[in-house]
Amino acid sequence: MSQSTRPSKAEDFFSWVTGHPKTLVLVGVLLMLSAAAFIPGLTKDTSSDSFIAKDNPARVYRDQMKEVFGLSDPFVIAIINHGPTGVFHPETLQLVQRLTDQVKKIPNVDPDRVVSLATESNIVGTADGMLVSKFFDPLPTTQIQADAIRAAIADFPLYQGSLVARDFTATLIVAEILDEMKSETTYNAFMTLIKDTPQIPGVELHVAGEGAISGYLFNYIDQDASRLNPIVGIVITLVLCIAFRTLWGTLLPNVVVLATVAAAFGTMAAGGVPFYVITNGLASILIGMAVAEPIHVLTHYYGLGRAHPDLSHRDVIVRTMTETWKPLTNTILTTFVGFISLYLSGGMPPMQYFGLFAAIGVMAAWLYGMVFIPAALMLVTFKLSPAIRGEHTPDRYGRAVAALGNFAIRRPRLILAVTLIISIIGGMGAFRLTIDEATIENFQRNEPIYYADKAINQVMDGTNYLDIVIETQIKEGLFNPDYLQRIDALQRFVETLPGVGGTTSVVDYIKQMHRSINENRHEAYRIPDNRDLIAQLFLLYSASGDPTDFEEEIDYDYRRANIRASINTSYYTNNRIVIEKLDQYLAEHFNTSDMTAHLSGRVNVNHHWLKTIATTHFVSEGLALVISWLMAAWLLRSLSAGLFTLVPVFASVLLVYGVMGFSGIWLAVGTSMFAAIATGLSIDFGVHTTQRIRDLMESGTGTFEERMSQLFPSTGRALFFNFAAMSLGFGTLMISVVPPLVRFGGLVTVAMTVSFLASIMVMPAMAKLFRPRFLGFRTLPEEIQQEAHLEPAYSISIVEERK
Amino acid sequence: MQPKMRHMLLVLSLLFPLFACNAGAEALPAGDEIAHRINARNEGEMVSRLVTMVMTDRGGTERVRETKSFRKYFGKEKRTVIFYLSPANIKDTAFLTYDYPETDRDDDQWLYIPAARKVRRISASDRGDYFLGTDLTYEDIRKEAKVGVEDYSWKTFGEETIDGHRCFLVEEIPVSDKTAKELGYGKVQSWVDAEIWMVRQAKFWDVAGNPLKTTQFMDIKPIQDIWTSHRLISENHKTGHKTEFIFKDVDYSRNVKDELFTEDGLRRGF
Repeated sequence: MSQSTRPSKAEDFFSWVTGHPKTLVLVGVLLMLSAAAFIPGLTKDTSSDSFIAKDNPARVYRDQMKEVFGLSDPFVIAIINHGPTGVFHPETLQLVQRLTDQVKKIPNVDPDRVVSLATESNIVGTADGMLVSKFFDPLPTTQIQADAIRAAIADFPLYQGSLVARDFTATLIVAEILDEMKSETTYNAFMTLIKDTPQIPGVELHVAGEGAISGYLFNYIDQDASRLNPIVGIVITLVLCIAFRTLWGTLLPNVVVLATVAAAFGTMAAGGVPFYVITNGLASILIGMAVAEPIHVLTHYYGLGRAHPDLSHRDVIVRTMTETWKPLTNTILTTFVGFISLYLSGGMPPMQYFGLFAAIGVMAAWLYGMVFIPAALMLVTFKLSPAIRGEHTPDRYGRAVAALGNFAIRRPRLILAVTLIISIIGGMGAFRLTIDEATIENFQRNEPIYYADKAINQVMDGTNYLDIVIETQIKEGLFNPDYLQRIDALQRFVETLPGVGGTTSVVDYIKQMHRSINENRHEAYRIPDNRDLIAQLFLLYSASGDPTDFEEEIDYDYRRANIRASINTSYYTNNRIVIEKLDQYLAEHFNTSDMTAHLSGRVNVNHHWLKTIATTHFVSEGLALVISWLMAAWLLRSLSAGLFTLVPVFASVLLVYGVMGFSGIWLAVGTSMFAAIATGLSIDFGVHTTQRIRDLMESGTGTFEERMSQLFPSTGRALFFNFAAMSLGFGTLMISVVPPLVRFGGLVTVAMTVSFLASIMVMPAMAKLFRPRFLGFRTLPEEIQQEAHLEPAYSISIVEERK
Repeated sequence: MQPKMRHMLLVLSLLFPLFACNAGAEALPAGDEIAHRINARNEGEMVSRLVTMVMTDRGGTERVRETKSFRKYFGKEKRTVIFYLSPANIKDTAFLTYDYPETDRDDDQWLYIPAARKVRRISASDRGDYFLGTDLTYEDIRKEAKVGVEDYSWKTFGEETIDGHRCFLVEEIPVSDKTAKELGYGKVQSWVDAEIWMVRQAKFWDVAGNPLKTTQFMDIKPIQDIWTSHRLISENHKTGHKTEFIFKDVDYSRNVKDELFTEDGLRRGF
């Protein structure tokens, strides 16, 4: 960077900063503490619903229907017995009774909405009437009694697949809870109950259900993140220690880390934005990013101090800052843009806020890097860093980087050929990319809840619910037998769709009631063709049911009904097919002006936010690329230079797509954010390299190789530690127990590695080969003349290239 | 004032509310006594009345059912029949129940379904089961204005005024877990009118201790010298469901024919 005789505005500013070190350090600490003071007020939002905006029509409709039908995501205990009698064994059935009684006593469980074989009644028709009796009346003590209950279930279609496995190997206790926000504690209570229950040989007990899964998920990720974040901090401190081997070189970047984290989470708390499941990844990212800027500043500072022992400490600081503020501000701005585009892309609220608060953190990191670091350095005495020996006597890291870089500029064609091949492979992988998500896949396969979910969904109809809400135009419209026939046909269709184990609706109850008043004859298991009879059957049922018994199936004025389809998988790819085919059926065969159907329920809501993953991902990535490019172009005053800074971004994003495509990693909630984040981080490498090449080409002397030999041990070394801090930071996530965090950490680490290699190998190779004018390369005749004089061998290669 | 004296006064003033409380507690009748006095009330040998049942779900949607109901004692056996008058699609549906005095004998119940022209015998309901889609349980209905002396341990713990009437505040705890489970209640609090020994309000908790429902007996006035509630509101706090019973044309003196309480009676109507 050229030194002018008149102090620049930057010099003025940094002179002022170094003139008020105590005040500025104090203000910095106070600001950090006041931001941190808000953090205890952070609230959590652990629900799956947090991923979909409150005003999204799918969510609004589901909430309305939830109100009408009183549906919730339940907790489920499965009792599985693979023995010859299945669960219909006296001891197992007694266990069902015992567990049901205990579940009703768990705080937050609604004891009136616990359903199991122990709570349900059998309804059978007799010669003169109808017998409604509890399945467990009396509680079976002999195999004959247990067999009788099995026979009763075998003759009662409503409970098959939903309450008892069709092969009789399992039965469920389904419990609804009063407050979904307390589901984490409730899950722990369920697990304690299972743990404390004496084992019966051959009987397995599992806890699952959507309520349990979402309740436990946050806790699971939260515990993991609180374990990992300190490790990330320690790893990064170690990197700093190796990079500088000075006390302040290690401590000061950590202060910037603290300020960044405090700013992001403090404003989050102050703004009333809750902490979502994915916010857990934010701390690691902030830690990784916040050290980047101090690494560059301190590398320059120690290098300058060593090269110019004659300068005063203050002059070293002012010159360091004057020479580094611009590329650092540029990189911060481009990173900021990457995160803001995540916010602006209008995707799921947790991702938007992730982008917003990461952007706020980045700005805090910049502010502290620009003001706090120089002010704080003024308060300590300058001490040479044993690790930084200057551009001419690089340490082993500088030498290693230089070796890589020099190899690249010696063999630029080879490097570009390899880059091209890798890019093509990456591109091919990108075409294999699958978009998928399943809540249960957030858990490791050896987690009890993962095993429980798989075990239950294997034997039961499914614990993932898709609701189909039927609406008629008039009160008591659903007493119309024709409508009921249409609903029945719809249920039969739904049952043919992949993963759908069974459906339940009020039609099933009507058929069962009709059969029960007709001496239990099988042929009477049908919809009666008399409106009044249907109304009277409901009254008959109310003789033994709760007032809200049909709440989940039909609304209070018999205008709307709900069909609940049980699906044995929560995979987006499966349920997308179900929803698309169902939509088509409804449009072509079901909906009329007098009766219509709409989809709702957890499966439909999840489908609606999951289908935005792809668009959100590509929109936010596109936005990040375009804005970063324009930003870099503006900063470097050249559209082409802007594009050149994107080389590490393209390389890393393309390669990560390839890794994902070939290794079968889904583009899911966690992984979909990698591109925008990687763009924000990778572009830093591009900006630093571009700026330095340009500076060296404009102000340095000698051949391209000679000039580059200054870049690798200084900027290249700083980039290496930048890469080391970030990739080790993100890499730590790979020892997480949460699979999405492992994948996210892995992908960002790959992106960082590629970015680093691209910035010190591909970019110099491209510069050498294409000699762009925006990097300061002179016109060819001038250069040939100059370089022929300096370097005959090189000029020959240029002439050959020209030919 | 001497410091010692002041100290004594302070102690006395602190103790006074305790004395006052004890004095008040002595004046209250025991819980069991209150229960017996409630059950000793005359409720007539027979009664006929128009009952409007208004059931409202938590969204505010109403179901209104007009019925004509008769009740008659056959010795200690109580028989009740309800004929539905409206809405039209359940008109003439009728529900008959025999409630036997023997505690170990299940009730008998029948329902006449006019659309199928069939009388169906329905197996006995559990005491805690809800009655015909209302918020009252079979036990609540069976007891009418009476209470289950043997099901609960009774304790009086205060006095309060409801609608200007002095009431004893009574707490009822089921005698065993089994009884609690059968009734569906873990605890009940009743406000019992101190003059006419009728419950004016009762609060119920479920077996896990969550607030369950509140029932109010209103518009209490004497009909043929029998104190009768003409309006009952029961509101479930967990489901938001509400039931209102409005009693009209209550008549304890009109003769109610025995034939009404038969299967044929159900078919014929009243």
